[in-house]
Amino acid sequence: MSADSLQRATLAKLADVLIPGSGKMPAASSAGVAGELLNRCLSAAPSLEEPLLALLEAAERCEHSAFARDLATRSPEDFAVLSTVVVGAYYLSEQVRDLIGYPGQVPSPLSIAGEPEYLPMLERVYERHEGYRSAE
Amino acid sequence: MLPIQRRSERRFESADVAVVGAGASGSVVSARLAEKGFRVVCIEQGGWSTPADYLSDQPEAELAWVERWNPDPNIRRGTADYPLTGDAEVRPVMFNGVGGGLVQWAAMWQPMLPSDFRTKTLDGVGEDWPISWRDLAGCYNRVARDMSVSGLVGDPALPELSYPNPPMPIGKIGMAAARGMDELGWHWWPGANAIASRRHGHLQACQRRGTCMTGCPENAKATPSLTHWPKALSDGVQLITEARAREIPLDSQGRARGVVYFDKEGMERLQPAQVVVLAANAVGSARLLLLSSSGRFPDGLANSTGLVGRRLMQHPYQTVVAVLADDLESWQGPWGQSIYSLEFAETRPECDFVRGAKWMVMPHGGPMFAVGEHQAAHGDLGFDGLWGEAFHRAVENIFGHSFTWGIQTEDLPEDHNRVVLDPEVTDSSGLPAARVEYELSENTRSMLSFNVSRAVEAAEAAGATETIVSGVWPTGIGHVLGTTPMGDDPDSSVVDRWCRTHDVSNLYVVDGGVFPSGGSANPTATILANALRVADRLIATRRQQEAAAA
Ligand SMILES: Cc1cc2nc3c(=O)[nH]c(=O)nc-3n(C[C@H](O)[C@H](O)[C@H](O)COP(=O)(O)OP(=O)(O)OC[C@H]3O[C@@H](n4cnc5c(N)ncnc54)[C@H](O)[C@@H]3O)c2cc1C
Ligand code: SF4
Repeated sequence: MSADSLQRATLAKLADVLIPGSGKMPAASSAGVAGELLNRCLSAAPSLEEPLLALLEAAERCEHSAFARDLATRSPEDFAVLSTVVVGAYYLSEQVRDLIGYPGQVPSPLSIAGEPEYLPMLERVYERHEGYRSAE
Repeated sequence: MLPIQRRSERRFESADVAVVGAGASGSVVSARLAEKGFRVVCIEQGGWSTPADYLSDQPEAELAWVERWNPDPNIRRGTADYPLTGDAEVRPVMFNGVGGGLVQWAAMWQPMLPSDFRTKTLDGVGEDWPISWRDLAGCYNRVARDMSVSGLVGDPALPELSYPNPPMPIGKIGMAAARGMDELGWHWWPGANAIASRRHGHLQACQRRGTCMTGCPENAKATPSLTHWPKALSDGVQLITEARAREIPLDSQGRARGVVYFDKEGMERLQPAQVVVLAANAVGSARLLLLSSSGRFPDGLANSTGLVGRRLMQHPYQTVVAVLADDLESWQGPWGQSIYSLEFAETRPECDFVRGAKWMVMPHGGPMFAVGEHQAAHGDLGFDGLWGEAFHRAVENIFGHSFTWGIQTEDLPEDHNRVVLDPEVTDSSGLPAARVEYELSENTRSMLSFNVSRAVEAAEAAGATETIVSGVWPTGIGHVLGTTPMGDDPDSSVVDRWCRTHDVSNLYVVDGGVFPSGGSANPTATILANALRVADRLIATRRQQEAAAA
């Protein structure tokens, strides 16, 4: 990932427009979206890098809130690049995951033992259903 | 590389059967024929995928969908993908590689209804199949075993079926949705999925990661590289990967000579064969037939009717997300169907449309997906309604507290919905891209609108405090059907009841293209059962098969 420190600083500011701090939730920049999480996000989705760098360059000398809002209406495709990177990197943060109670797509062995809780409801389906439409 | 690959180095001069496509149907046909001693060569434009290629067991799992494991080939742009052009209202999605769509599928296992085979007779629309549900019954059960399906038998809405594994738990999302259906007195049933609820066949037990559609890292979801290819390769199938078929040439008698393809070095080769079987999916097989035009077939091979490429069906799709106050752990897998409903799958006299829709409940995946669905549906809220404080509120509301009703509708076979060759755009081999023309009919629009309203009611009955309704998905759900329809009449169908083309006596099509009408069930159970039925027929009629002149 080739973003330099100026580009990362720009991203941090834009990211906070999208995801500011709120209550227990950290702002995108303090969760680290412009740091290592950005690298991880772009290595999972490398095609985002080029359009991201282009829009960061365009945003450098702008007021960030106005830039983000304008991008959302003027260029939805570029805005989708920005928001995908920001949201994607934000949810890579362990801290953010912990705060929303998300363990990640982790293994959680299933149990098929015992009688499912839904059986009484299913019996009612069975009782009221007229059967399938026959066709030979 | 799979260790087993090394065993298939043997080269055949002329194959008994050349299969194009190692996806769902091609894998079944190749494996079954080889088991019975046929010399089979299978030509596949993509390569192998294994858990090492997925991001599913990493925190980046959701980001896999952005690009590398997006099901839209135009976004993924892998080396095996060919472009899909045109401004279709619904654009097909697919995976190109060993296993085809079953690398990425959600593994929802849904045999069609008996009436789906008789839409013209019963409802005066679409086309009847030349075969009936009963003709597929045995094959449905055999493929369910091969695919280690987990499900609960006894659904009164379907004829009797058997599944080798007990159903997956329906989870908190399924319980919540089922309560709503119970309240309304509507049909629902625990979902059957080609995911092993316990170790079975070649599959491990599911670990509920919920990343099924970006590749199962646990080898718990049925996909041909696990379920079919190890045995097929040891039975001698020669699988040529990274090889793109470009033409089916004919001999002077008008019989298929084999398959012309580009190998991985870009060299053009001819694989001679006695019989050619196309299994490149409803887009890929139609494209290959159109690419194989000749003096005898100026409009494309086996296209004397002009139907090749036409009657594309895709099950147009919308979702209704039910947001509840309860904790539903809605990121937990599988990302197949927790429960399904056939309440609205049949024609209803009170409706202004014919035929129907199948519904299924799914988890929402990780937070990126959960909030993404909300944002896509609520573009009208503007920037401040979606970002800033509103972003956090939406996540708090939806994430872990919602389930999705997916609504897939039966679209009728219509000639103007079609696949043609693009006059300008080409793939990496220089072959014309597939241009897709597809429009929703009024019947489909009414059906979607009616079903979405009912699904909102079902969500509310389940206790939803909010519902999020998507638009019609502009990229499809991987269900590509029609384009080489099956029928007894050579003037109104491309292949006969045994999936042999009416025009070329040793050329078959076995993929989803042969569906004359599409029902509303997820199609793969039927594609696989039909492919097995055709393979059995090829075995039974081996001696009578007309072959190309040597
Ligand atoms: C994301 C996703 C989720 C899905 N979920 C479900 C589900 O839950 N339940 C369900 O029933 N179905 C599901 N499907 C649909 C399912 O994947 C398809 O129905 C099934 O794969 C179609 O089988 P097929 O044999 O017709 O073609 P495919 O499986 O698409 O195989 C075609 C193969 O042919 C190859 N090919 C094409 N052209 C050429 C050429 N010129 N030369 C060489 N090779 C070629 C392709 O690379 C591909 O491997 C899903 C699909 C997707 C994409
Ligand atoms: S839910 Fe089961 S099948 Fe799906 S990815 Fe996880 S382990 Fe595999």
